[in-house]
Amino acid sequence: MRPCGIFDERYTQDMAILRTKQHWALLVGALILLYLFPLFGSYYLVSFLNNLFITIIVVLGLQIVSGYCGQISFGQPAFMAVGGYASAILTLKAGVSFWLALPLSGLIAGVFGIIGGAPSLRIKGFYLAIATIAIHFVTMWLILHLKITGATQGLNPMPPEIFGFPLDTDERMYYLIATVMLIMTFGARNLVRSKVGRAFVAIRDNDLAAEVMGMNLYHYKLLAFFISCFFAGIAGSLYGHLIMVVHPEQYTLTHALWYVGMIIIGGMGSIPGTFFGVIFVRVLDELVLFASPFLSEAFPWLGASPAAALGLSAFGLVLIVFLVFEPRGLAHRWEIFKASYRLYPFAY
Amino acid sequence: MKRKGWVLLFGVMMLALASGPASVYAAEKTAAFLDLTDMTGAIAGLAGQASRITKATFDYFNERGGIDGVKIKYIGVDTRYDVARALSAYKRYRRTPRLLLANTIGTGLGKAIYPLILRDKIINYTPGDGEFQARLGRTFIYSTPYQDGFSAALDWMKEDWQKKGNSGAPIVGFTSWDNPYGREPFRGGKEYAAKIGVKLLDPELFPVGSLKHDVWLNRLAAKGANYIYVCGVDPTPTNVIRDAYALGLTKKIQFVTDYWGPDRAVGVKAHAEALEGSVVVSCFSRGTDTLNHPIMTKIWKKYMKTPVNEMRGSASIGFSWAMHFIEGLRIALKDVGYEKLNGEAMYQAFMKLKGHNVTQGATGICDYSPSSRRMSRYVKFYRIQGAELVPITDWRLAPDAVSLHKF
Amino acid sequence: MTEFLQLLISGLMEGGLYALLAASIVLVYKSTQVASLAHGQILAFGAIFLYIFLATLHLPLVIALILAFAATALMGLLIERTTLRPLIGQPLFSSFLVTFAVFMLFDGIFQLIVKGGTLTIPHFLPAGTLHAGALMVPAGQLCSFIAALILFGILGLMFRYTKVGLGLRASAENHQLARSTGISVKQIFSIIWVISALVACVAGIATANVTDIYYTLPQMGIKGLIVALFGGLESIPGALIGGIILGILENLSAGYLDPVVGGGLKEVAAYIMLLLILLIKPYGLFGLVRIERI
Repeated sequence: MRPCGIFDERYTQDMAILRTKQHWALLVGALILLYLFPLFGSYYLVSFLNNLFITIIVVLGLQIVSGYCGQISFGQPAFMAVGGYASAILTLKAGVSFWLALPLSGLIAGVFGIIGGAPSLRIKGFYLAIATIAIHFVTMWLILHLKITGATQGLNPMPPEIFGFPLDTDERMYYLIATVMLIMTFGARNLVRSKVGRAFVAIRDNDLAAEVMGMNLYHYKLLAFFISCFFAGIAGSLYGHLIMVVHPEQYTLTHALWYVGMIIIGGMGSIPGTFFGVIFVRVLDELVLFASPFLSEAFPWLGASPAAALGLSAFGLVLIVFLVFEPRGLAHRWEIFKASYRLYPFAY
Repeated sequence: MKRKGWVLLFGVMMLALASGPASVYAAEKTAAFLDLTDMTGAIAGLAGQASRITKATFDYFNERGGIDGVKIKYIGVDTRYDVARALSAYKRYRRTPRLLLANTIGTGLGKAIYPLILRDKIINYTPGDGEFQARLGRTFIYSTPYQDGFSAALDWMKEDWQKKGNSGAPIVGFTSWDNPYGREPFRGGKEYAAKIGVKLLDPELFPVGSLKHDVWLNRLAAKGANYIYVCGVDPTPTNVIRDAYALGLTKKIQFVTDYWGPDRAVGVKAHAEALEGSVVVSCFSRGTDTLNHPIMTKIWKKYMKTPVNEMRGSASIGFSWAMHFIEGLRIALKDVGYEKLNGEAMYQAFMKLKGHNVTQGATGICDYSPSSRRMSRYVKFYRIQGAELVPITDWRLAPDAVSLHKF
Repeated sequence: MTEFLQLLISGLMEGGLYALLAASIVLVYKSTQVASLAHGQILAFGAIFLYIFLATLHLPLVIALILAFAATALMGLLIERTTLRPLIGQPLFSSFLVTFAVFMLFDGIFQLIVKGGTLTIPHFLPAGTLHAGALMVPAGQLCSFIAALILFGILGLMFRYTKVGLGLRASAENHQLARSTGISVKQIFSIIWVISALVACVAGIATANVTDIYYTLPQMGIKGLIVALFGGLESIPGALIGGIILGILENLSAGYLDPVVGGGLKEVAAYIMLLLILLIKPYGLFGLVRIERI
């Protein structure tokens, strides 16, 4: 968001994420708003935002592996589960503090992600997509049948404590989740414009060409899976400690479809797009939830408030519309808006 | 113009989102019942209709001025058997004024919501996990625990076996969903089988949503099962017995299902021929009994707008949810009054329900007390005959299998 | 031994149905290069249409079947026209994703219709059980299996001897060349979607005849895709062999390994098999190895 007439003179200026004073003012304002939100926002909105932020972390990971590196993965919920279980087992059975377990669960999920990403060495495109579906089911089956994961009983991780002060309500967890979300966003934003990020984009655009140019394809593909699963693991850990339960029934393939849908709607290969996609889909789902009682009263054959089924249909429809009419997603709209803002008052 | 449209759309969406939760406050006295139900997923066949009749029962009483002037606000959310969805829905409604009870259908969900319920000090209905009886928390089982029902069925099988002129005890197979619910009857049921000397085969667990069940049935048959206890929410047990019928197993083996078993308007309607002779052990009245229940049929005719004939057995489940809530509310109002009405008061009230005939025949005598989270300890046996569930016993006391298992 | 044979027979019967669905996916992939998940829904709706015409409208069997086929063909055509045709020229991966979106759209509608119950199509195939020694074969399942085999035969003949089949094969080889010989590739796309929807419809009716219309019926689509990948996305015989292997493997693993590992292996076996085959032979048993250029 740069108004007309501001030019870069040095390299550091060109690379800066925040270019103008207005940027800084906006950022500080947004941060203050973000951190003061629980003081005036309703409980429901806070818990909605908690879910939203956790989803953003997961989808950021997916954005890196799918949007930037071009390897579509439907395995994100499974790796969330790995992270959640890792964190629960570490804190409950090994007695590790949550603050250590959080990054560790990310790393563990990341290592599993490397295993899960192994098929990407030989296959790509929808072959890989189906392979990740297979990985999802195998992982969930393992979780359901291992002793250490509590099998069908699941585990109950405790809320984290900071200096003896328990983060046991949604409002208190909000600060932690929002902070982690900001750090992860910052990390992702910088990662994708580094050497690694450029390598990812090269692989996405043409992996053979990238290989011919001398890139180590396997290294970067596995790295992309590692990073994306790291994000999923962190999100899984946060989610587990937020709702105080990790259970095999929480992580279904449907969630993977929603996550992939979110990056399509938001825009593949764009960090702001991730935010747009997640917010758009979550708000859409909430709206369907609101509308469904009225709909079921208007059309009795629908049955009583069939929100979940209607949500699924609405989501599928929106996804089709985006794929057909706006394949570059909301991020593309955002770019157009930014460009026209920069040129204002001129037309071009 | 285009850009304005986008901004406008977003604005409207946010506005709708923000105004939604604010508009729930109403002027009249209300108490809220949150129903996290499944309208379109694995258990929707029974749970969906149960929820609808719960709502209808509340409507019926609200129209008569409520419970001592307090109207009941029913909040139904479709969760599609998805734990994550249900939890976020719970969080969204947990600050509803005077929310007294959250009804969670699904064993996994019941476990997941347990810590939240304790924290919020409200009460919770959950299907039939003996675990909650053992824990004695704020979670009330709205049936006999699954293991008690299973044990009652084991008793019946042994009786039936000897009545048929055999000596000793039968061999019993068990098949169910591979999920928390599916394993629950075994925790305690296994110990009870050992106690009465019935030989129980290894459980055969199949994934939720399986289309065919031949493998598991064949294995149980090969091991010589005389009785097979089938779990799963209808239409699952119907599908299992349908496959057994196609394999010709129903002639040799007596099938028994738990209270989520074949229903007159779901499975029985679809596969009456295959189900003929199967037995349902239920802590709710089913089949012909539901059609003869005076209040339930009245409510059905008035609010559901379909012939009574289409009433499912799960109607009595929904009716019982509503009636226990109403009875508890009545006691709570008498004890603390409307101003102090909260989850804690409701919790205390629920523990005084023991001995009340709350549902007038839709369930057995209520058993909620400080030492019991069982809705009732009585079960009834039904046999499927000519596309209808016909009672073959009266209410009988189910054995206490929960105490046999170490949770 | 009896147990083994019994598992083999059950697997064969289930495998035939997987194979039929996989064949419909292969048909579309062969000529349009789109691997479709939407076929799971076409299959489910094929069964639903028949249910509507037969059980709720009480039409005679033949008319109901014809109407169900027509409705399913229309559904296939609509999916092709509204979602896949606008994406011609876009990366193929978008087409794959759009079939996911179509799957979700119809899944919502499907759940609203079924509402967690089962819908049973009135039996029009013989019921009962055939006994061969100690082995048991449900007659309905056998009929479904035979229907699947017959359809495979018809498909093979059609591809080999009809003019449409020739066009289909030509456009499968090369769109440009096919166009230059006067074949309308767009028209071929529509035809192939209609044919494939019909095959999926038969698979749906055959499956529902055995399993009823249950809420997980559309998820057969994932199974079909697995079989198609397993056999090779370009190969119709591959679909048949892959489907039968999958059916047998599922039953054998459930039969012999379930007691060892504690259950639930029937669903997972397919996925483990898929992962292995993708690592060893990425393009499936009979698939064409694609040579890429920069």
